[in-house]
Amino acid sequence: MKNGKQKNWYLTIGIILTACMLIFIAVGFFWTPYVPSAMSSGDRNGRPSLRHLFGCDSFGRDIFSRTLEGAGSTLTIALAVLAVGAVCGLIIGALCGYYGGAADALIMRLCDAIAAFPSVLLAMVVLAVTGPGKYNVIGALGVLFIPSFARLVRGEFLKYRDRDFVQSARLTGVSDLRVIFVHILPNTWPVLLSGLTIGFNNAVLAEASMSYLGIGVSAQEPSLGYMLKDAQGYFFTLPWCTAFPAAVVILLILGVGLLGEGIRERMGVAS
Amino acid sequence: MSNAIVHIEHLNSWYGKGKERKQVLRDVSVELAPGEVLGIVGESGSGKTTLAKCVLGMVTDITGELAVNSQRPQMVFQDPYGSLNPAKTVGWILEEPLRAAGVKDREERRRRVAELLPLVGLEEEHLARKPAQLSGGQRQRVAIAAALIQGSKLIVLDEPVSALDVTLQAQILRLLAELKERLGLSYLFISHDLAVVYQLCDRVAVMTGGEIVEAGDVDEIYDHPKHPYTKKLLDASLALD
Ligand SMILES: Nc1ncnc2c1ncn2[C@@H]1O[C@H](COP(=O)(O)OP(=O)(O)O)[C@@H](O)[C@H]1O
Ligand SMILES: [Mg+2]
Repeated sequence: MKNGKQKNWYLTIGIILTACMLIFIAVGFFWTPYVPSAMSSGDRNGRPSLRHLFGCDSFGRDIFSRTLEGAGSTLTIALAVLAVGAVCGLIIGALCGYYGGAADALIMRLCDAIAAFPSVLLAMVVLAVTGPGKYNVIGALGVLFIPSFARLVRGEFLKYRDRDFVQSARLTGVSDLRVIFVHILPNTWPVLLSGLTIGFNNAVLAEASMSYLGIGVSAQEPSLGYMLKDAQGYFFTLPWCTAFPAAVVILLILGVGLLGEGIRERMGVAS
Repeated sequence: MSNAIVHIEHLNSWYGKGKERKQVLRDVSVELAPGEVLGIVGESGSGKTTLAKCVLGMVTDITGELAVNSQRPQMVFQDPYGSLNPAKTVGWILEEPLRAAGVKDREERRRRVAELLPLVGLEEEHLARKPAQLSGGQRQRVAIAAALIQGSKLIVLDEPVSALDVTLQAQILRLLAELKERLGLSYLFISHDLAVVYQLCDRVAVMTGGEIVEAGDVDEIYDHPKHPYTKKLLDASLALD
């Protein structure tokens, strides 16, 4: 038996870290100290200093400004991927779990087939056909994220669909759709939230990997992954070009990961 | 027979499909008159819940005669931890059957909930709580209120007090008896405990292995049990006292 008042450090640190990262990224949407793409010849290869907190790259672009912008791009893509995957996965998983039957079996088989391959690999194949670009990345990764959400949500709905309170609702004449989305869905939030944190991190990593491999976003909207690729030739000579974008990716993933762990821990105590 | 609220004759029911198909109810015949409390007793697995689900139309693989002359009969489940939506407040849970019945006006729903609350022994302050913040007895009162709020006259009570301790059992049984008189209800009351059935029921049917082996007035069955299975049940419930 766990003490109910025991401090949930994962949750606390996760919330704080995630909030800090989100504030950092949000600032980047409205303000950057320099224009991220502006090159200043005097600052080429500049070390981190008070003028340029994160230093400058070989073109004299301010890494701090570029990191702010790149993090915004990474966050936008990850959230969009998550939105596509989670919304479709939620609807498919809820209907499959609630109704079961042959359609459910078929769809889950299909999900297994898709999930058997690493999503980055599949996304590469898709992008090889559609070409790179922000929206193609979002579409490809989003669709590939559906199966894991569908499976997660389906499991929850299987758990709840024969509960007495669901039967009560049906007896009083509540429609199936309302039972699914109003009666059952709110009970699955903790599991869904924790799934969303995992999905978010996978999306950040997948986008970064794809940009790193040169099949992701374009140079006009550099993400953190794109910056890492850009900087790989200067890994030893200009380490700050790699270190700061990488640190932002790591801290973001760490924060959201701890948040998810905290939610799971909390859920475990409650049930 | 014509004015019975529940009329069941030669009812058989099955679960599963194909090779898995398994008969549960065998040639069950019972009748529930308006205003009456019919007890169904039998050990766990004898098919009591299945019979209840047949009456509520939740089991569809059946043969025989089954007539229910009541609008939207409702059920109170054994486990008040499972029968109330853990994610919702008591107020929401009690309003939901009204929403489902098409009562669009929020004030009207609130008024009807507020009217029912004192009848089941709940207070306004309970409305804002989640089921987890209520005691077992309070939860069962909420479940009873939710079954009554649509104005249903036929209530199926599936072991409604089995999960409660003896003091609470007595309270809930008294409440059920009161509600029956006040609102003119009929109960199909399921229990594995003859002593509990004796307190509330007018008539009782004894079930084992999906069959009804003996049925009649509760006093008659209690004082002069005929079937050996009934005697065994009686001995068991007397031994507990
Ligand atoms: N949904 C179901 N599917 C298959 N078998 C079931 C189902 N529900 C109950 N049974 C079986 O039917 C029999 C009667 O169960 P039930 O009606 O719940 O008995 P009781 O309520 O008297 O304990 C038991 O053998 C049980 O295993
Ligand atoms: Mg039962």
